Amino acid sequence: MTGMERTEIRLAGSGGQGLILGMQILFRALGLEGKRAAQSQSYEPTSRGGYCYSDLILASDPSDYPLVTGLDMIAALSQVGIDRSLPFIKPGALVIVDERLVETPPTGPFKLHVLPLSQRAAAIGSPRIANIIALGALARLSGVCGKDSLETAVCLETPPKFAELNIAAVRAGFAIERLAPAG
Amino acid sequence: MSSSLHSLQGNKACALAAIAAGCRFFAGYPITPSSEIAEQMSRDLPRVDGVFVQMEDEIASLAAVIGASLGGSKAMTATSGPGFSLMQENLGFAAMTEVPCVIINVMRGGPSTGMPTKPAQGDIMQARWGTHGDHPIIVVAPASVQEVYAETIRAFNLSERFRVPVVVLYDQIIAHLIETVELPPKGSIHTVERKWASGTEEGFKPYAETDDLVPVMARPGDGHRLHVTGLTHTEDGFPTQKPDLAAHALNRILDKIERNRAEIDKVEQIETKDAGTVIVAVGIAARAARRAVQMLRSEGIRAGLVRPVTLWPFPDEALRAATANARAVLVPEMNAGQLIHEVQRVVGGSAKVAGLNRVDGEPIPPAAIAQKVRELVADE
Repeated sequence: MTGMERTEIRLAGSGGQGLILGMQILFRALGLEGKRAAQSQSYEPTSRGGYCYSDLILASDPSDYPLVTGLDMIAALSQVGIDRSLPFIKPGALVIVDERLVETPPTGPFKLHVLPLSQRAAAIGSPRIANIIALGALARLSGVCGKDSLETAVCLETPPKFAELNIAAVRAGFAIERLAPAG
Repeated sequence: MSSSLHSLQGNKACALAAIAAGCRFFAGYPITPSSEIAEQMSRDLPRVDGVFVQMEDEIASLAAVIGASLGGSKAMTATSGPGFSLMQENLGFAAMTEVPCVIINVMRGGPSTGMPTKPAQGDIMQARWGTHGDHPIIVVAPASVQEVYAETIRAFNLSERFRVPVVVLYDQIIAHLIETVELPPKGSIHTVERKWASGTEEGFKPYAETDDLVPVMARPGDGHRLHVTGLTHTEDGFPTQKPDLAAHALNRILDKIERNRAEIDKVEQIETKDAGTVIVAVGIAARAARRAVQMLRSEGIRAGLVRPVTLWPFPDEALRAATANARAVLVPEMNAGQLIHEVQRVVGGSAKVAGLNRVDGEPIPPAAIAQKVRELVADE
């Protein structure tokens, strides 16, 4: 439309799932690759449990509109997260939803991946790292950023005592073939 | 040293810029969506031997800022609509007594307590006319995190240069947006200090007229006799009601801004040279408008954008020039119609002026602006 590169990414779910932190990690990873971005998030009194999202706009023009106009990719960790984001998803977009937390996966003209993100998180050691696994899967499927950058960024943005767990989460996300549900 | 890239939140960028500009005193009362500024200042000011005070309310906050500034510090406060309302009396006092100070007002949904976490642009007129009486004021309106940084520094510089309160006005979206920002290396930032009084204390007149109409300031402890009052005063600082002296005193503080517009004005223009339709917008609405211009240009529609960075005083001349050949002017704003009145005043009957307004706490998307321009073009 304008000849300038622009990619719109959302992490959606419920408050408390680390969606904003997740996006900060992706922002950092992209920064390590020399890319500029703008991050915004839902900012409302309801946080824990309620609808929450964080958006990242990757644009070659730093003055470009910094909010979502049409999502190129989304990872959703709750039903409300995907349902309320649906109107913003572009045709052909990459859509990742959690197999357990999104009971009714969306239908539409996009590339849908239903993945056991939260189960894998629990298996690795903490349900709280589902956001990082989602990021890894998103990066692996879209190529938006490299594994090394994401691993470095996750260490820079989270406490050192969780570094091992978070790196394991990034790797689990990148090992998307093993994440794909049977059948 | 070269500049460095950081991912920074708008409010955090504001606080970092204030300290880089030389701010060493902050008094405030935290309020959504400006609280991160106070939070950041409370951490950073003590590290540079500055002072952070959480006050009992916003009236006291600006009062403390004025006191600190008279005491020789560069000082600021940060607030949002309800707090900005409470500050209006002291804002007028600062304008009348010519005390440099910077007020950050992060706009949220109003009136009253409105929608604390939602963006709006409803304080555009309040920032200019919120306090009573004819008064000088400068208002800058950044539209990105990078610009929040730059304009906060410029706000301090303008405030010191002209001894006038400067309001940095932006919305909740810009406040909480995190963007990649290029921070200038330390030591490369241009800062301005107020003109200090020098020479003899004998016969010192604190408001003595100077060539540029900006009086020098007495440095505390230097021994200059000083009287500061919100009452209309003469050069010696004491009240007067003599008509000629009163008129002169008021006209001088208004003229010091008007006569120095070249140092104050700042407008960004995009694709206005051949524009048949000119969009006028500030803040996040201007970011959307910028994208709308790109969309429209790709369709062959000659759209342009005028974005006042210095919002007040309003850039009459730049807007008049940019709209000279325009058939229509569109003013998208997140309020029921404020900026549009200024635009109508300037553009007059030379072009059709239309508004695009939103008051539901949501931003105006680029597509809505583009669609409105298409409608205006079709109507011609």
